[in-house]
Amino acid sequence: MRFSVKPFILSLLVLLVLFPFAYLGLLSLAGDWRFPDVWPAYIGLRNWYAVLSAETSLWQSFLLSVLISVSVATAATFSGFFISRLVYYHPKQHLLTLLSYFPYILAPVVFAACLSFFFLKLGLFGKSGGVVVAQFMVAFPYALIFFGSFWGSKTQQLEKLVATLGGNLWHTFQRVLLPMARGMLLVCFFQTFLISWFEYGLTSIIGVGKVQTLTIKVFLFIKEANFYYGALSCVLLILPPVALLYINKRYVFNKLV
Amino acid sequence: MRTKSPHIGILFFLAIGVLPFAAAFVYALLYSFGAVGVLNTSYTTAFWAAVFRSGEFFKSLGYSAAIAAVSVAVSVGLALWLVLSYRRDFEKKALSFVLYLPLAIPGVVAAFFTFQLLAQSGFFARITYALGGIDKARQFPDLVNDPWAVGILLTFISLVTPFFVLLFMNVYKNERLGELKTLAVSLGATPRQVRWRVSIPILLTKTRTLIVLYFIFILGAYEVPLILGQQSPQMLSVLIIREMRQFDLAKIPEGYAVAVLYTFIVSGAAVLLFYRKKKTADAF
Amino acid sequence: MFLEVKQIRKSFGQEQVVTDLTFSLERHKTLSILGQSGCGKTTMLKMLGGLVTPDGGDIRLDGASISHKKPEQRNIIYLYQEDLLFPHLNVFENIAFGLRLKKHPAKEVRQKVETMVESLELQGQQSKMPHQLSGGQRQRVSFGRAIINNPALLLLDEPFGSLDAGTRQRMQQLFKKIAGAFSITSLFVTHDLKEAILMGDEIAFMKSGVLKVYKSKQAFIEDPETGVQSEIGFWKDLK
Repeated sequence: MRFSVKPFILSLLVLLVLFPFAYLGLLSLAGDWRFPDVWPAYIGLRNWYAVLSAETSLWQSFLLSVLISVSVATAATFSGFFISRLVYYHPKQHLLTLLSYFPYILAPVVFAACLSFFFLKLGLFGKSGGVVVAQFMVAFPYALIFFGSFWGSKTQQLEKLVATLGGNLWHTFQRVLLPMARGMLLVCFFQTFLISWFEYGLTSIIGVGKVQTLTIKVFLFIKEANFYYGALSCVLLILPPVALLYINKRYVFNKLV
Repeated sequence: MRTKSPHIGILFFLAIGVLPFAAAFVYALLYSFGAVGVLNTSYTTAFWAAVFRSGEFFKSLGYSAAIAAVSVAVSVGLALWLVLSYRRDFEKKALSFVLYLPLAIPGVVAAFFTFQLLAQSGFFARITYALGGIDKARQFPDLVNDPWAVGILLTFISLVTPFFVLLFMNVYKNERLGELKTLAVSLGATPRQVRWRVSIPILLTKTRTLIVLYFIFILGAYEVPLILGQQSPQMLSVLIIREMRQFDLAKIPEGYAVAVLYTFIVSGAAVLLFYRKKKTADAF
Repeated sequence: MFLEVKQIRKSFGQEQVVTDLTFSLERHKTLSILGQSGCGKTTMLKMLGGLVTPDGGDIRLDGASISHKKPEQRNIIYLYQEDLLFPHLNVFENIAFGLRLKKHPAKEVRQKVETMVESLELQGQQSKMPHQLSGGQRQRVSFGRAIINNPALLLLDEPFGSLDAGTRQRMQQLFKKIAGAFSITSLFVTHDLKEAILMGDEIAFMKSGVLKVYKSKQAFIEDPETGVQSEIGFWKDLK
């Protein structure tokens, strides 16, 4: 009989994937875990109780992150949907899409640093609103490119069909385009939500430490060497995307070009 | 049908999709020549000269490019091997969910986790200690903030590999690779030939654009090298932000000069990528 | 005349696609137009439907010019070659689409759609989604969706082009029946000689953007350019 490595490799793979989740979960429950102990001296919910207390304001950070990400995702998805129609039907379609690639491909943190002067002048520096606007600038090109595939010749024909059946532009959107794109709108919403949810560099520049989203909190805890709270914020950061994955994998996996 | 509304829409597109990028670029350009900013020295090329003289930019560019290249190459290789060997197992329901799980982990968390594992007082050091391999934390090899960027590389590889596994699985299905493989076998190809002449070329050509895109993303990555990187050389984004936030005001325009250079390189890559994609798209 | 088309022309860049198109059609009649692909027939239909703007000329429907009306105001329905159904709506809702746009009362919509479903021989398929239908069924839904709106003019662009021979024949018969029952005025474009003769009350031939309408079917058959003669010759030679 031939010896097969397959079960070992597959088990190793599963372990590798699950390990970070288990480890971060354990670290968020741990206390007094000093070198060289392999196992923490304390395991319990005391860090989690602290989250609910006002002291660390992690709870507020979580809510703030949700609020910012939902705003960014809503704005980016809808503006992306409507504007990509104009862009992809435009005679200069290729030039316009190329232009939208630039902000998408540039490191958001550098983009933000070069823009910070304008945010300062507009009074958006260090404000949640400013962070929403800045993250929108990154999420919008994504949404725009995302919907590009929707506006093909098939959709154009359907639009003309509605016109010849007596429908105006409002009917076209309300009865055909929006219902047809429902799945895509949902996927785009969650993906732009995650772009915002995971964003650190740009938020730290525009938010100047005053807008404390969860990613900012993780960094603050790392700087303070408070690894238990750091792990706890990580768990909070990971939970929503895991839940989304459970509902529908397409919400998280993006293979956009 | 021909009303003004499309024009208003395109204007809106230019205002939110193009103007910020243009404004950021022009501002950085002006700043790097001393035309705007705190120093306000009026036009000078001194900062650009300083950037080229110090060579820090080129070191950082080379360092970032090397990290991006190694990370992408290892990830793609690993993903190819996994998909071609275990694709059928990955399609089973339980395993397929596990495969998607890594996508829930952002860069910040991955970097934090790597730090917890690999630092000199980290989890692996503790295990080595328990097994009697070391007596002091100091003896454990420094794998974070190290000159070989081991921590950074491991983090990027573990972030990017799952993505490419899923991508290749996807392409495998869409391009009907299974049928093409059967066809190749019926034409007399050996399993080795099928792998090297059919499967791998198809998977790589279909994902070429995304592979380059991931190289560019890692080139500009910020959080991971910020947590796991060393003082010098630094990856590009970290270098740019550090220079812009210096107390030495003369350094700030140099930061903007580096930002301009970086933007230039990345935009050039975007143009190339885009036209190649268009060309292949037209061909099909 | 019910439909009058006067000197319509259209060019894309250098290429003159439709040249001085002039013809007319009586109410409740079908004009079939024979032409090979690329002869400008699709562009011609799209200009009538308002989906393409002509470079010049005039289109009059029931005495009034419609050249400057938007497609949704013309009451002319253009039917695509492919059976273009709304993928998110079932058979019933696809057929009901135009009536819903015009906000007809629900009861009336139900009644009309059910009658239509019956004359299309689609009973029991109402709640199916487009991807669950066969090619012929899809084309019938597409027909019903157009005809139920009681269009002044129906434009059919190779409607049976993608169907197999048997289905095609059944569809031709069904269309004749329905066109009669609903008093449809229509233009029927096809590249199939037999279909052109079969479907039209009147018949025309289009080549390189020029349309020639025949006084009678006999005139059409006798013109060597239409290809009828060479077809007859082929079958004769076989004997």
